[in-house]
Amino acid sequence: MQCSEFHDTLEQYLDDVLDESRRESFRGHLRACPECRSWAIGVEPTMVFAAVEAPAPNPDRVAACTASVMAQIRQQRLARDLRPRRRRWLAAAAAVLAAVVGGVGWWVAHDDRSPVPAAAVEAFDPSGQPPLPPRVQVNMPGEGVRVYQFADDEDHDTAMYYIVNPALES
Amino acid sequence: MLRERLRTLPRTLPGSSDRTMDDRDYVEAAREGDDGAFAALVQRHSGGLHRAVARILADESEAWDVVQLAFVRAWQRLDRYDPKWSFATWLYRIGTNLAIDVLRSRSSRERTHRAGSEHHLRVVGEVRGASDLADHREVDWLLDRLVEALTPQQRRAFVLREIEGMDTAEVAQALGCSATTVRNHVFQARKTLRQELERRFPEYLPRAKRG
Repeated sequence: MQCSEFHDTLEQYLDDVLDESRRESFRGHLRACPECRSWAIGVEPTMVFAAVEAPAPNPDRVAACTASVMAQIRQQRLARDLRPRRRRWLAAAAAVLAAVVGGVGWWVAHDDRSPVPAAAVEAFDPSGQPPLPPRVQVNMPGEGVRVYQFADDEDHDTAMYYIVNPALES
Repeated sequence: MLRERLRTLPRTLPGSSDRTMDDRDYVEAAREGDDGAFAALVQRHSGGLHRAVARILADESEAWDVVQLAFVRAWQRLDRYDPKWSFATWLYRIGTNLAIDVLRSRSSRERTHRAGSEHHLRVVGEVRGASDLADHREVDWLLDRLVEALTPQQRRAFVLREIEGMDTAEVAQALGCSATTVRNHVFQARKTLRQELERRFPEYLPRAKRG
């Protein structure tokens, strides 16, 4: 765009009636030509806000922003992947517990030979190995890790998470 | 298969002119779980989004927090992205909406603090005409002090259209309004900024217009 055309176009720019390509050309000249820039700001002071080049992004801040965003995303994905598995495990545990309680109740009600339920005996059997806590495994694609969730029967809501490199398991 | 293709193609770094990978390709790959593709989108757009949000908020540091939150929100809603619009437009909509939320939550105490610092800067600062303003830092400094006179929608429209140079249709999409409304916001914003310049910073006006 030439200087004379720039002068003729300012009013149309301010009225926002230029097509996008002419508008871009006008803005380019505004930034490139000091005389026309000074004239345009003299006519309309707010043209100063369109007159400066956008600064290049700071690469260090961009890198830090990217790292932070990706860390938040990984954290959210981990939480999302664990949540449904934990709900399934809790549902299964609740079903097993209900079946055991129901079975014991039926046995006590229908058999008066033994006052002690078998399940209680089993729970205090000193010779038996303690049952392993439930284990939930989540593979994290692209992360190269697996996540294990441990919880015991007394603490359904608080789980411990272990992040393990699969290469160390073999 | 797409993920394999992405691994073999060069990705755009900030400041590079390489446009081999389109934003929509990255979005598609990110939807399939490719974190590298989403990281490339963050690298490509975080600087520009930060610039726009910082001008709306008049706060560089707080703007980075908003940018991060905007990208996390975008990742959570990738399945809602409509590829008929550019990814940048969609992202700017999320980011500037969050910026407006921040503006609305700011306390009056913060605004009082800002007014005090303005007086100090004016006293120690060098006074020149607006046409002599050399770089974006000075213009940003001036905008920071004037932008509070605008409504949130006027801020968004003026920053995206007049400063960032986005198309009217893109700004309309980002603001969720019509092109006519965008033009009206920009017109009103320009009028208010001119009045504020004349009232608060007459030293920045051309000599012929100073009182």
